Amino acid sequence: MSKEEMFKELSDAIVSCKQDLVLAVIEKAKSEGIAAPEIIEKGLAAGMNEVGIMFERGKLFLPHVMMASGAMEAGVKMLEDDMPTDAPSDKLGVIVNGTVEGDVHDIGKSIVSTMLQSSGFEVHDIGRDVPLQDFIAKIKETDANMVGMSALMTTTMPGQKEIIEMLKEQGLREKVKVMVGGAPATQAWADKIGADCYAENASEAVAKAKELLV
Amino acid sequence: MTEYALRMGDGQRIFMTKEQILTDLQEGMADAADLGTIPDLSGDELDKLVDIITTSSRMVGVEPGMEVPVTHDISTIRIDGDQGNSGVGIPSSRLVGMMMHERAFGADTMELGHIDYSYKPVKPIISQEQQTMEVCQQNMIVPLLYGAMPNMGLYYTPDGPFPNPGDLMKSFKIKEAQEAMEGAAEHLTRDIVWIMQRMMASGADGINFDTIGAAGDGDMFASLHAIEQLRKEFPDIYIETGMAGELMLGLHGEMEYDGTVLAGLWPHEQAPLAAKAGSNVFGPVVNTNTSKSFAWNLGRAVTFIKEAVKASTIPCHVNMGMGVGGIPMLETPTIDAVSRASKAMVEIAGVDGI
Amino acid sequence: MGMPISHIMTSGMSGIRAAGDLVARMEFSKSMRIGEAKDYVSKKLGVSTMDLSDEYVMRELREELGLGVITSVAGVPKGIAAKMNIEKLLDIKINSCEMFRNKIA
Repeated sequence: MSKEEMFKELSDAIVSCKQDLVLAVIEKAKSEGIAAPEIIEKGLAAGMNEVGIMFERGKLFLPHVMMASGAMEAGVKMLEDDMPTDAPSDKLGVIVNGTVEGDVHDIGKSIVSTMLQSSGFEVHDIGRDVPLQDFIAKIKETDANMVGMSALMTTTMPGQKEIIEMLKEQGLREKVKVMVGGAPATQAWADKIGADCYAENASEAVAKAKELLV
Repeated sequence: MTEYALRMGDGQRIFMTKEQILTDLQEGMADAADLGTIPDLSGDELDKLVDIITTSSRMVGVEPGMEVPVTHDISTIRIDGDQGNSGVGIPSSRLVGMMMHERAFGADTMELGHIDYSYKPVKPIISQEQQTMEVCQQNMIVPLLYGAMPNMGLYYTPDGPFPNPGDLMKSFKIKEAQEAMEGAAEHLTRDIVWIMQRMMASGADGINFDTIGAAGDGDMFASLHAIEQLRKEFPDIYIETGMAGELMLGLHGEMEYDGTVLAGLWPHEQAPLAAKAGSNVFGPVVNTNTSKSFAWNLGRAVTFIKEAVKASTIPCHVNMGMGVGGIPMLETPTIDAVSRASKAMVEIAGVDGI
Repeated sequence: MGMPISHIMTSGMSGIRAAGDLVARMEFSKSMRIGEAKDYVSKKLGVSTMDLSDEYVMRELREELGLGVITSVAGVPKGIAAKMNIEKLLDIKINSCEMFRNKIA
């Protein structure tokens, strides 16, 4: 089996959420001397990219995304010892994600958290109706480099702006990228309040987080 | 080169040439055709869309004889609602709001609903809802449904008895997350049926399910089962099945109705299931992308809805509120865009109502 | 408010201002598609389908048949009374009328 065929098999195993097969192909790849970073990039990560595309197109669903993500995690763990010591961390970034105070909408924000987590970010989902100060506290606690804020009502959107102001006051704004989302949020709103990006949906949230952090 | 004023998906005014408009229409159409695996619009239909968008009048109108019933959701909240949503905050009773829709605006049907607008919170106030329905039915002539959102999210912690599937999913407890959704769906079905048994006893013409699927495929599963039970118990009940979004989100992923997996269904695939469960009217939805032009969004929305109308065996009343059906996502959607989208849905997508 | 009014002005049948409620009733009570519903109602009223959205035709006809009119006219059937006449015209049962009859039986 060529290297390309092996990467394809690995990627397919991720898409079909077959953790046993993922581990078996990694074993085979290791025995043939393929470097761990290449296995991760061209096999595992390629598979997760495909999973993201299929989720966006309604061909795969959240449980599949999680199972694929679990298979990827197991695969990365298996390769940990073979990673070069100077290799960058496998975490793409640390993100605090939540729905702002006064807003009880949870589902869309949770999907975004799940997709970010599945794509390799360390995500701290702090829930819904979250006091604004708690965003700042969690950012400090986790040393996050991005914050995601969801608001599904025009009445709660100003909370997103207030958190940006609080980040400035605490001297954190330069260090922490800001993403906003939720039905009434738009790019114009993001521009107006000085957010770094606006995401239309979960897949776009992943793409924009990668653009800003990777 | 002549430029025409139109809108972005967030409502902002932009200017485009006829060629640019056509290109955006084609790209929006291609996106829908690709995602839904459905046919493109014809060249004539695209030309007609260009004509509708570039008409110099502020408002347009359907050709005489092509008018369709306009049904209403969110009840009178758009009049007395005063919580920063699309309501205009006029203090008034719901009867006054209903009659304003019937007598002042010329609405073809109307809906009674409460300010929270989800089914679950109706239970503790059912008596007030029944009596309001009775008073409205005594005074009104147009079909008057009872409506709210299924909103299955209210059955998860901290609002309800089941663990939050979002949290379970993130800790890879997939089976437990699915079980929470199944439990919540059962409760939701039971609550909707219980509420409507009482509203029918108070003279309601029927029920409007507003935004089915907002909490994913479990939400649709529960709603379809409620529809089935209501149809069985009340053979003459009017049932309007309105969706929350274009794609049925697969949060559970394995729930089925009549042998069809609900996750991943597009409007033309949702319509037959709504009919099968016992609905009279199906309300398909296509979401607006705020970062794209009105032309892109309208081309996309008309392509999806035309196919849903074709696939449906029951009337289709396309959902055309803010941020859906090609209409910009804005609390005060611009009249030029609303009117153009409305005409396009009737004359090109062939909807039975709005 | 601009949105529903814009839809009604662009595409709607004007409710009881013309015959929109009657066509809607056939879509809801018998799941008729728009063409079939308009044909059914127009035949029952003895008018053309285009007349169903014509205020000039429907204003007088509604008053004559006791179907309820949009303007305030003393003595014409309103509410349940108008709906009972609609039941007869369209040959359908309306739940609020049934409940009303049950209460006085």
